[in-house]
Amino acid sequence: MPAALAAFEFPPVSHLFEWPVVILDGTPLAINKTVVLTGAAALLTIGFFVLGSRKRALVPSGFQNLAESSYELVEENIAVEVMGAEDGKRWTPFLTSLFFFIFFMNIFEVIPGIQFPPTSRIAIPALLAIIVWLMMIFLGMKTQGVGGYFKSSLFPPGVPKVLYLLVTPIEFISTFLVRPFSHAVRLFANMMAGHILLTTFALLSAALWLGKWNAIFLPLPVVGGAAMTGFEVLVAVLQAYIFTILTAVYIGGSLHPEH
Amino acid sequence: MKMRSRILAVAALAAGLVVAVPGVASASGESVGVCIVESPAGEEIVGLTAEELEEEQVEALGEAADECVEAPNPVVPEINELIWGGIFFLIVLVGLMKFAVPALKKGMADREERIRDDLEQAEKAKVDGQEQLSSYEQQLADAREEAARIIEEARASADGVRQELIAQAEQDAAGVRERANVDIAAATERATSDLQAQVGELAIELAEKVVEHSLDHDTQTALIENYINEVGSSSE
Repeated sequence: MPAALAAFEFPPVSHLFEWPVVILDGTPLAINKTVVLTGAAALLTIGFFVLGSRKRALVPSGFQNLAESSYELVEENIAVEVMGAEDGKRWTPFLTSLFFFIFFMNIFEVIPGIQFPPTSRIAIPALLAIIVWLMMIFLGMKTQGVGGYFKSSLFPPGVPKVLYLLVTPIEFISTFLVRPFSHAVRLFANMMAGHILLTTFALLSAALWLGKWNAIFLPLPVVGGAAMTGFEVLVAVLQAYIFTILTAVYIGGSLHPEH
Repeated sequence: MKMRSRILAVAALAAGLVVAVPGVASASGESVGVCIVESPAGEEIVGLTAEELEEEQVEALGEAADECVEAPNPVVPEINELIWGGIFFLIVLVGLMKFAVPALKKGMADREERIRDDLEQAEKAKVDGQEQLSSYEQQLADAREEAARIIEEARASADGVRQELIAQAEQDAAGVRERANVDIAAATERATSDLQAQVGELAIELAEKVVEHSLDHDTQTALIENYINEVGSSSE
Protein backbone atom coordinates (compact mmCIF):
# COMPACT_ATOMS: atom_id res chain seq x y z
CA MET A 1 0.00 0.00 0.00
CA PRO A 2 1.44 3.41 -0.91
CA ALA A 3 2.46 5.53 2.03
CA ALA A 4 -0.07 8.22 1.29
CA LEU A 5 -2.97 5.81 1.35
CA ALA A 6 -1.66 4.03 4.43
CA ALA A 7 -2.53 7.17 6.35
CA PHE A 8 -6.03 7.03 4.98
CA GLU A 9 -8.14 5.41 7.62
CA PHE A 10 -11.84 5.52 7.00
CA PRO A 11 -13.60 5.98 10.33
CA PRO A 12 -16.35 3.57 11.41
CA VAL A 13 -19.67 4.73 10.02
CA SER A 14 -20.99 5.40 13.49
CA HIS A 15 -18.37 8.11 13.91
CA LEU A 16 -20.08 10.06 11.13
CA PHE A 17 -23.42 10.05 12.88
CA GLU A 18 -22.85 9.80 16.64
CA TRP A 19 -22.28 13.17 18.24
CA PRO A 20 -20.99 13.93 21.73
CA VAL A 21 -23.58 15.28 24.12
CA VAL A 22 -23.10 18.95 24.92
CA ILE A 23 -25.36 19.39 27.93
CA LEU A 24 -27.89 17.38 29.93
CA ASP A 25 -25.83 14.22 29.41
CA GLY A 26 -27.51 11.07 30.62
CA THR A 27 -31.00 12.54 30.63
CA PRO A 28 -33.67 11.97 27.96
CA LEU A 29 -33.24 15.64 27.05
CA ALA A 30 -29.54 15.33 26.22
CA ILE A 31 -28.55 17.87 23.57
CA ASN A 32 -26.05 17.06 20.83
CA LYS A 33 -25.41 18.42 17.35
CA THR A 34 -28.40 16.55 15.91
CA VAL A 35 -30.75 18.17 18.41
CA VAL A 36 -29.25 21.64 17.90
CA LEU A 37 -29.62 21.31 14.12
CA THR A 38 -33.21 20.10 14.45
CA GLY A 39 -33.96 23.18 16.53
CA ALA A 40 -32.16 25.39 14.03
CA ALA A 41 -34.29 23.94 11.22
CA ALA A 42 -37.43 24.64 13.25
CA LEU A 43 -36.31 28.24 13.84
CA LEU A 44 -35.44 28.70 10.18
CA THR A 45 -38.82 27.37 9.09
CA ILE A 46 -40.72 29.70 11.41
CA GLY A 47 -38.39 32.64 10.75
CA PHE A 48 -38.74 32.22 7.00
CA PHE A 49 -42.51 32.37 7.06
CA VAL A 50 -42.80 34.98 9.82
CA LEU A 51 -40.43 37.33 8.00
CA GLY A 52 -42.24 36.59 4.76
CA SER A 53 -45.66 37.43 6.15
CA ARG A 54 -44.82 40.50 8.25
CA LYS A 55 -44.79 43.31 5.72
CA ARG A 56 -47.75 42.38 3.54
CA ALA A 57 -46.77 44.81 0.81
CA LEU A 58 -49.16 44.98 -2.08
CA VAL A 59 -46.38 44.25 -4.52
CA PRO A 60 -44.39 41.48 -2.84
CA SER A 61 -40.62 41.50 -2.89
CA GLY A 62 -37.72 39.70 -1.24
CA PHE A 63 -38.65 37.46 1.66
CA GLN A 64 -42.35 38.05 1.20
CA ASN A 65 -42.23 36.97 -2.40
CA LEU A 66 -40.17 33.90 -1.54
CA ALA A 67 -42.42 32.87 1.34
CA GLU A 68 -45.58 33.36 -0.69
CA SER A 69 -44.17 31.46 -3.66
CA SER A 70 -43.05 28.66 -1.34
CA TYR A 71 -46.46 28.41 0.24
CA GLU A 72 -48.12 28.39 -3.16
CA LEU A 73 -45.65 25.78 -4.39
CA VAL A 74 -46.76 23.38 -1.65
CA GLU A 75 -50.39 24.34 -2.08
CA GLU A 76 -50.54 23.93 -5.85
CA ASN A 77 -48.01 21.18 -6.54
CA ILE A 78 -48.58 18.97 -3.53
CA ALA A 79 -51.75 19.65 -1.56
CA VAL A 80 -54.31 20.58 -4.21
CA GLU A 81 -52.78 18.24 -6.78
CA VAL A 82 -53.09 15.22 -4.50
CA MET A 83 -56.00 15.99 -2.17
CA GLY A 84 -58.24 18.16 -4.34
CA ALA A 85 -58.97 21.86 -3.96
CA GLU A 86 -60.92 21.86 -0.71
CA ASP A 87 -58.93 19.40 1.41
CA GLY A 88 -55.73 20.54 -0.24
CA LYS A 89 -56.17 24.14 0.86
CA ARG A 90 -57.08 23.04 4.39
CA TRP A 91 -54.02 20.79 4.73
CA THR A 92 -51.51 23.14 3.09
CA PRO A 93 -50.30 24.70 6.38
CA PHE A 94 -49.49 21.27 7.82
CA LEU A 95 -47.83 20.09 4.61
CA THR A 96 -45.87 23.35 4.33
CA SER A 97 -44.59 22.95 7.90
CA LEU A 98 -43.55 19.38 7.14
CA PHE A 99 -41.89 20.21 3.83
CA PHE A 100 -39.81 23.14 5.04
CA PHE A 101 -38.91 21.56 8.39
CA ILE A 102 -37.54 18.53 6.54
CA PHE A 103 -35.97 20.64 3.80
CA PHE A 104 -34.04 22.84 6.24
CA MET A 105 -32.82 19.74 8.12
CA ASN A 106 -31.78 18.10 4.85
CA ILE A 107 -29.99 21.14 3.48
CA PHE A 108 -27.67 21.27 6.52
CA GLU A 109 -25.96 18.36 4.78
CA VAL A 110 -24.23 20.75 2.36
CA ILE A 111 -23.91 23.94 4.44
CA PRO A 112 -20.17 24.48 5.01
CA GLY A 113 -19.22 24.18 8.67
CA ILE A 114 -22.37 22.26 9.53
CA GLN A 115 -22.50 19.50 6.93
CA PHE A 116 -24.75 17.14 8.78
CA PRO A 117 -28.45 16.50 8.18
CA PRO A 118 -30.41 15.55 11.34
CA THR A 119 -32.64 13.51 9.03
CA SER A 120 -29.73 11.10 8.49
CA ARG A 121 -30.55 9.83 11.97
CA ILE A 122 -33.62 7.61 12.13
CA ALA A 123 -35.29 9.48 15.00
CA ILE A 124 -36.78 12.45 13.13
CA PRO A 125 -37.96 10.57 10.01
CA ALA A 126 -39.44 7.84 12.21
CA LEU A 127 -41.16 10.38 14.43
CA LEU A 128 -42.66 12.27 11.49
CA ALA A 129 -43.67 9.06 9.70
CA ILE A 130 -45.40 7.76 12.84
CA ILE A 131 -47.21 11.07 13.33
CA VAL A 132 -48.44 10.89 9.73
CA TRP A 133 -49.37 7.23 10.12
CA LEU A 134 -51.41 7.92 13.28
CA MET A 135 -53.11 10.88 11.59
CA MET A 136 -53.91 8.71 8.59
CA ILE A 137 -55.59 6.05 10.75
CA PHE A 138 -57.34 8.58 12.99
CA LEU A 139 -58.71 10.63 10.09
CA GLY A 140 -59.77 7.49 8.24
CA MET A 141 -61.74 6.29 11.26
CA LYS A 142 -63.15 9.76 11.84
CA THR A 143 -64.43 10.33 8.30
CA GLN A 144 -65.46 6.76 7.42
CA GLY A 145 -66.13 5.23 10.81
CA VAL A 146 -63.96 2.50 12.33
CA GLY A 147 -65.57 -0.35 10.38
CA GLY A 148 -65.84 1.66 7.18
CA TYR A 149 -62.20 2.64 7.29
CA PHE A 150 -60.89 -0.88 7.75
CA LYS A 151 -63.33 -2.19 5.17
CA SER A 152 -62.23 0.35 2.55
CA SER A 153 -58.53 -0.12 3.26
CA LEU A 154 -58.47 -3.91 3.70
CA PHE A 155 -61.24 -4.95 1.29
CA PRO A 156 -60.76 -2.81 -1.82
CA PRO A 157 -63.95 -2.84 -3.94
CA GLY A 158 -64.09 -4.56 -7.31
CA VAL A 159 -62.08 -7.61 -6.27
CA PRO A 160 -63.59 -11.15 -6.51
CA LYS A 161 -64.48 -12.38 -3.01
CA VAL A 162 -62.10 -15.35 -3.11
CA LEU A 163 -59.14 -13.07 -3.77
CA TYR A 164 -59.69 -11.28 -0.46
CA LEU A 165 -57.92 -14.28 1.09
CA LEU A 166 -54.84 -12.99 -0.70
CA VAL A 167 -55.51 -9.26 -1.00
CA THR A 168 -56.51 -8.51 2.57
CA PRO A 169 -53.28 -9.70 4.25
CA ILE A 170 -51.25 -7.91 1.59
CA GLU A 171 -53.20 -4.70 2.05
CA PHE A 172 -52.85 -4.97 5.82
CA ILE A 173 -49.11 -5.43 5.67
CA SER A 174 -48.56 -2.76 3.06
CA THR A 175 -50.86 -0.11 4.55
CA PHE A 176 -50.41 -0.57 8.27
CA LEU A 177 -46.96 -2.07 8.66
CA VAL A 178 -44.76 -1.29 5.67
CA ARG A 179 -46.12 2.17 4.93
CA PRO A 180 -44.73 4.05 7.97
CA PHE A 181 -41.50 2.07 7.79
CA SER A 182 -40.85 2.82 4.12
CA HIS A 183 -41.98 6.40 4.62
CA ALA A 184 -39.35 6.94 7.33
CA VAL A 185 -36.56 4.82 5.87
CA ARG A 186 -36.80 6.45 2.42
CA LEU A 187 -35.88 9.82 3.90
CA PHE A 188 -33.45 8.52 6.51
CA ALA A 189 -31.51 6.20 4.20
CA ASN A 190 -31.20 8.77 1.44
CA MET A 191 -29.79 11.37 3.79
CA MET A 192 -27.52 8.88 5.53
CA ALA A 193 -26.14 7.67 2.21
CA GLY A 194 -25.64 11.24 1.07
CA HIS A 195 -23.71 12.10 4.20
CA ILE A 196 -21.46 9.04 3.84
CA LEU A 197 -20.91 9.86 0.18
CA LEU A 198 -19.84 13.45 0.87
CA THR A 199 -17.65 12.35 3.77
CA THR A 200 -15.94 9.80 1.54
CA PHE A 201 -15.07 12.39 -1.08
CA ALA A 202 -13.89 14.85 1.56
CA LEU A 203 -11.67 12.28 3.33
CA LEU A 204 -10.23 11.08 0.03
CA SER A 205 -9.43 14.67 -0.93
CA ALA A 206 -7.75 15.27 2.43
CA ALA A 207 -5.68 12.10 2.18
CA LEU A 208 -4.48 12.93 -1.32
CA TRP A 209 -3.65 16.48 -0.26
CA LEU A 210 -1.29 15.08 2.34
CA GLY A 211 0.13 12.51 -0.06
CA LYS A 212 3.19 13.13 -2.26
CA TRP A 213 3.00 12.26 -5.94
CA ASN A 214 -0.50 10.90 -5.40
CA ALA A 215 -1.63 14.51 -5.17
CA ILE A 216 -1.98 14.49 -8.96
CA PHE A 217 -5.17 12.47 -8.40
CA LEU A 218 -6.53 15.15 -6.07
CA PRO A 219 -8.77 16.74 -8.72
CA LEU A 220 -10.79 13.53 -9.01
CA PRO A 221 -12.30 13.44 -5.52
CA VAL A 222 -12.44 17.25 -5.37
CA VAL A 223 -14.48 17.49 -8.56
CA GLY A 224 -16.49 14.45 -7.55
CA GLY A 225 -17.19 15.97 -4.13
CA ALA A 226 -18.32 19.25 -5.67
CA ALA A 227 -20.59 17.42 -8.10
CA MET A 228 -21.96 15.24 -5.30
CA THR A 229 -22.63 18.33 -3.18
CA GLY A 230 -24.77 19.71 -5.99
CA PHE A 231 -26.47 16.36 -6.31
CA GLU A 232 -27.17 16.31 -2.57
CA VAL A 233 -28.85 19.71 -2.79
CA LEU A 234 -31.21 18.10 -5.28
CA VAL A 235 -31.68 15.11 -2.97
CA ALA A 236 -32.42 17.40 -0.02
CA VAL A 237 -35.25 19.09 -1.95
CA LEU A 238 -36.47 15.90 -3.54
CA GLN A 239 -36.66 13.87 -0.33
CA ALA A 240 -38.53 16.65 1.48
CA TYR A 241 -40.89 16.81 -1.50
CA ILE A 242 -41.40 13.04 -1.60
CA PHE A 243 -42.00 12.79 2.14
CA THR A 244 -44.56 15.59 1.94
CA ILE A 245 -46.35 14.31 -1.16
CA LEU A 246 -46.62 10.83 0.37
CA THR A 247 -48.07 12.41 3.49
CA ALA A 248 -50.64 14.14 1.29
CA VAL A 249 -51.41 10.84 -0.46
CA TYR A 250 -51.85 8.93 2.81
CA ILE A 251 -54.01 11.57 4.48
CA GLY A 252 -55.96 12.25 1.29
CA GLY A 253 -56.62 8.51 0.97
CA SER A 254 -58.12 8.47 4.44
CA LEU A 255 -60.33 11.46 3.72
CA HIS A 256 -61.52 10.15 0.35
CA PRO A 257 -61.32 6.35 0.15
CA GLU A 258 -62.78 6.26 -3.36
CA HIS A 259 -59.70 7.88 -4.86
CA MET B 1 -37.73 46.27 10.97
CA LYS B 2 -36.76 45.90 14.63
CA MET B 3 -38.43 42.50 14.75
CA ARG B 4 -36.60 41.51 11.60
CA SER B 5 -33.16 42.35 12.92
CA ARG B 6 -33.98 40.55 16.18
CA ILE B 7 -34.93 37.43 14.24
CA LEU B 8 -31.78 37.68 12.16
CA ALA B 9 -29.68 38.04 15.31
CA VAL B 10 -31.27 34.93 16.81
CA ALA B 11 -30.67 33.05 13.58
CA ALA B 12 -27.02 34.13 13.50
CA LEU B 13 -26.56 33.08 17.14
CA ALA B 14 -28.15 29.72 16.44
CA ALA B 15 -25.95 29.20 13.40
CA GLY B 16 -22.86 30.04 15.44
CA LEU B 17 -23.92 27.61 18.14
CA VAL B 18 -24.52 24.91 15.57
CA VAL B 19 -21.06 25.28 14.11
CA ALA B 20 -19.09 25.90 17.28
CA VAL B 21 -20.58 23.78 20.05
CA PRO B 22 -20.63 20.18 18.86
CA GLY B 23 -17.13 20.24 17.43
CA VAL B 24 -15.98 18.13 14.53
CA ALA B 25 -17.29 14.71 13.65
CA SER B 26 -14.23 12.75 14.65
CA ALA B 27 -14.42 14.14 18.17
CA SER B 28 -17.08 11.63 19.04
CA GLY B 29 -15.24 8.50 17.99
CA GLU B 30 -11.97 6.92 18.88
CA SER B 31 -9.90 4.55 16.85
CA VAL B 32 -10.38 0.87 17.61
CA GLY B 33 -6.83 0.49 18.92
CA VAL B 34 -7.14 3.17 21.58
CA CYS B 35 -10.45 1.71 22.62
CA ILE B 36 -8.97 -1.74 23.16
CA VAL B 37 -6.08 -0.41 25.21
CA GLU B 38 -8.45 1.57 27.39
CA SER B 39 -10.86 -1.31 27.93
CA PRO B 40 -10.34 -3.58 31.01
CA ALA B 41 -9.38 -6.52 28.84
CA GLY B 42 -6.97 -4.35 26.89
CA GLU B 43 -5.09 -3.16 29.94
CA GLU B 44 -4.27 -6.71 30.92
CA ILE B 45 -2.90 -7.38 27.50
CA VAL B 46 -0.65 -4.39 27.14
CA GLY B 47 2.98 -5.20 27.89
CA LEU B 48 2.74 -8.95 27.45
CA THR B 49 4.83 -10.79 24.88
CA ALA B 50 3.30 -13.03 22.31
CA GLU B 51 4.07 -16.20 24.30
CA GLU B 52 2.47 -14.84 27.42
CA LEU B 53 -0.79 -14.29 25.63
CA GLU B 54 -2.90 -17.18 26.71
CA GLU B 55 -5.92 -18.39 24.92
CA GLU B 56 -8.46 -16.75 27.20
CA GLN B 57 -6.66 -13.45 26.96
CA VAL B 58 -6.85 -13.69 23.19
CA GLU B 59 -10.57 -14.30 23.55
CA ALA B 60 -10.92 -11.30 25.85
CA LEU B 61 -9.06 -9.20 23.31
CA GLY B 62 -11.43 -10.36 20.59
CA GLU B 63 -14.46 -9.48 22.71
CA ALA B 64 -13.05 -6.06 23.52
CA ALA B 65 -12.38 -5.44 19.84
CA ASP B 66 -15.91 -6.56 18.93
CA GLU B 67 -17.34 -4.21 21.51
CA CYS B 68 -15.29 -1.33 20.20
CA VAL B 69 -16.07 -1.96 16.55
CA GLU B 70 -19.77 -2.58 17.10
CA ALA B 71 -21.55 0.63 16.25
CA PRO B 72 -24.87 1.66 17.73
CA ASN B 73 -27.68 0.38 15.55
CA PRO B 74 -28.53 3.26 13.21
CA VAL B 75 -32.14 2.10 12.79
CA VAL B 76 -32.90 2.42 16.51
CA PRO B 77 -33.92 6.00 17.29
CA GLU B 78 -32.32 7.84 20.19
CA ILE B 79 -34.83 8.86 22.81
CA ASN B 80 -33.47 12.41 23.20
CA GLU B 81 -33.68 13.03 19.46
CA LEU B 82 -37.26 11.76 19.41
CA ILE B 83 -38.28 14.05 22.26
CA TRP B 84 -36.54 17.13 20.91
CA GLY B 85 -37.73 16.37 17.38
CA GLY B 86 -41.30 16.17 18.63
CA ILE B 87 -40.97 19.44 20.54
CA PHE B 88 -39.44 21.24 17.57
CA PHE B 89 -41.98 19.91 15.10
CA LEU B 90 -44.76 21.01 17.43
CA ILE B 91 -43.18 24.48 17.59
CA VAL B 92 -43.01 24.60 13.79
CA LEU B 93 -46.64 23.52 13.47
CA VAL B 94 -47.90 26.06 16.00
CA GLY B 95 -45.69 28.85 14.65
CA LEU B 96 -46.77 28.31 11.08
CA MET B 97 -50.39 27.33 11.46
CA LYS B 98 -51.27 29.88 14.14
CA PHE B 99 -49.18 32.86 13.10
CA ALA B 100 -47.26 32.84 9.85
CA VAL B 101 -49.71 31.14 7.49
CA PRO B 102 -52.81 33.15 8.49
CA ALA B 103 -50.84 36.39 8.05
CA LEU B 104 -49.42 35.16 4.75
CA LYS B 105 -52.82 34.09 3.46
CA LYS B 106 -54.42 37.33 4.60
CA GLY B 107 -51.81 39.29 2.67
CA MET B 108 -52.39 37.17 -0.41
CA ALA B 109 -56.18 37.38 -0.11
CA ASP B 110 -55.99 41.17 0.36
CA ARG B 111 -53.88 41.50 -2.75
CA GLU B 112 -56.20 39.22 -4.70
CA GLU B 113 -59.19 41.31 -3.62
CA ARG B 114 -57.41 44.54 -4.44
CA ILE B 115 -56.46 43.30 -7.89
CA ARG B 116 -59.99 42.07 -8.54
CA ASP B 117 -61.41 45.44 -7.45
CA ASP B 118 -58.95 47.28 -9.64
CA LEU B 119 -59.83 45.12 -12.63
CA GLU B 120 -63.53 45.57 -12.03
CA GLN B 121 -63.09 49.31 -11.76
CA ALA B 122 -61.04 49.38 -14.93
CA GLU B 123 -63.72 47.38 -16.70
CA LYS B 124 -66.39 49.74 -15.40
CA ALA B 125 -64.38 52.78 -16.47
CA LYS B 126 -63.93 51.25 -19.89
CA VAL B 127 -67.65 50.61 -20.29
CA ASP B 128 -68.44 54.13 -19.06
CA GLY B 129 -65.94 55.61 -21.45
CA GLN B 130 -67.38 53.66 -24.32
CA GLU B 131 -70.86 54.76 -23.40
CA GLN B 132 -69.72 58.35 -23.25
CA LEU B 133 -67.89 58.01 -26.53
CA SER B 134 -70.94 56.62 -28.30
CA SER B 135 -73.06 59.34 -26.74
CA TYR B 136 -70.63 61.96 -28.02
CA GLU B 137 -70.58 60.34 -31.41
CA GLN B 138 -74.37 60.37 -31.45
CA GLN B 139 -74.37 64.03 -30.52
CA LEU B 140 -71.81 64.77 -33.18
CA ALA B 141 -73.87 62.97 -35.81
CA ASP B 142 -76.97 64.86 -34.69
CA ALA B 143 -75.10 68.14 -34.93
CA ARG B 144 -73.85 67.29 -38.40
CA GLU B 145 -77.32 66.41 -39.50
CA GLU B 146 -78.64 69.63 -38.02
CA ALA B 147 -75.96 71.65 -39.78
CA ALA B 148 -76.73 69.96 -43.08
CA ARG B 149 -80.40 70.63 -42.58
CA ILE B 150 -79.77 74.30 -41.82
CA ILE B 151 -77.57 74.68 -44.88
CA GLU B 152 -80.19 72.99 -47.01
CA GLU B 153 -82.85 75.27 -45.62
CA ALA B 154 -80.72 78.33 -46.22
CA ARG B 155 -80.07 77.25 -49.74
CA ALA B 156 -83.76 76.66 -50.33
CA SER B 157 -84.72 80.01 -48.88
CA ALA B 158 -81.97 81.75 -50.87
CA ASP B 159 -83.33 80.12 -53.99
CA GLY B 160 -86.77 81.36 -53.14
CA VAL B 161 -85.52 84.86 -52.55
CA ARG B 162 -83.68 84.80 -55.84
CA GLN B 163 -86.71 83.61 -57.75
CA GLU B 164 -88.75 86.28 -56.07
CA LEU B 165 -86.22 88.97 -56.87
CA ILE B 166 -85.98 87.86 -60.48
CA ALA B 167 -89.74 87.81 -60.79
CA GLN B 168 -89.94 91.24 -59.19
CA ALA B 169 -87.26 92.57 -61.50
CA GLU B 170 -88.95 91.12 -64.50
CA GLN B 171 -92.21 92.66 -63.39
CA ASP B 172 -90.53 96.02 -62.82
CA ALA B 173 -88.91 95.85 -66.22
CA ALA B 174 -92.23 95.03 -67.81
CA GLY B 175 -93.78 98.04 -66.06
CA VAL B 176 -91.02 100.33 -67.24
CA ARG B 177 -91.36 99.05 -70.78
CA GLU B 178 -95.08 99.50 -70.69
CA ARG B 179 -94.78 103.10 -69.49
CA ALA B 180 -92.13 103.81 -72.09
CA ASN B 181 -94.41 102.45 -74.78
CA VAL B 182 -97.26 104.63 -73.59
CA ASP B 183 -94.98 107.69 -73.46
CA ILE B 184 -93.69 106.98 -76.92
CA ALA B 185 -97.20 106.57 -78.23
CA ALA B 186 -98.28 109.85 -76.63
CA ALA B 187 -95.22 111.67 -77.94
CA THR B 188 -95.84 110.30 -81.40
CA GLU B 189 -99.43 111.42 -81.24
CA ARG B 190 -98.46 114.89 -80.12
CA ALA B 191 -95.70 115.18 -82.66
CA THR B 192 -98.03 114.03 -85.40
CA SER B 193 -100.68 116.57 -84.50
CA ASP B 194 -98.08 119.35 -84.12
CA LEU B 195 -96.60 118.39 -87.44
CA GLN B 196 -100.05 118.41 -89.07
CA ALA B 197 -100.73 121.91 -87.74
CA GLN B 198 -97.30 123.22 -88.73
CA VAL B 199 -97.38 121.64 -92.15
CA GLY B 200 -100.81 123.19 -92.71
CA GLU B 201 -99.65 126.60 -91.64
CA LEU B 202 -96.47 126.25 -93.64
CA ALA B 203 -98.35 125.24 -96.72
CA ILE B 204 -100.77 128.13 -96.36
CA GLU B 205 -97.96 130.63 -95.91
CA LEU B 206 -96.26 129.16 -98.89
CA ALA B 207 -99.42 129.21 -100.94
CA GLU B 208 -100.23 132.77 -99.88
CA LYS B 209 -96.78 133.83 -100.93
CA VAL B 210 -97.20 132.06 -104.18
CA VAL B 211 -100.74 133.10 -104.95
CA GLU B 212 -100.83 136.41 -103.05
CA HIS B 213 -104.30 136.84 -101.79
CA SER B 214 -105.90 135.01 -104.70
CA LEU B 215 -107.70 132.90 -102.31
CA ASP B 216 -109.11 133.90 -98.95
CA HIS B 217 -107.71 132.28 -95.90
CA ASP B 218 -110.67 130.14 -94.94
CA THR B 219 -111.10 128.54 -98.32
CA GLN B 220 -107.44 127.66 -98.49
CA THR B 221 -107.43 126.06 -95.04
CA ALA B 222 -110.43 123.95 -95.95
CA LEU B 223 -108.78 122.82 -99.14
CA ILE B 224 -105.57 121.85 -97.36
CA GLU B 225 -107.33 119.93 -94.60
CA ASN B 226 -109.29 117.98 -97.12
CA TYR B 227 -106.15 117.14 -98.88
CA ILE B 228 -104.37 116.01 -95.73
CA ASN B 229 -107.32 113.88 -94.68
CA GLU B 230 -107.29 112.26 -98.07
CA VAL B 231 -103.61 111.62 -97.75
CA GLY B 232 -104.04 110.37 -94.14
CA SER B 233 -106.84 107.94 -95.00
CA SER B 234 -105.08 106.63 -98.04
CA SER B 235 -101.90 106.12 -96.05
CA GLU B 236 -103.68 104.07 -93.31
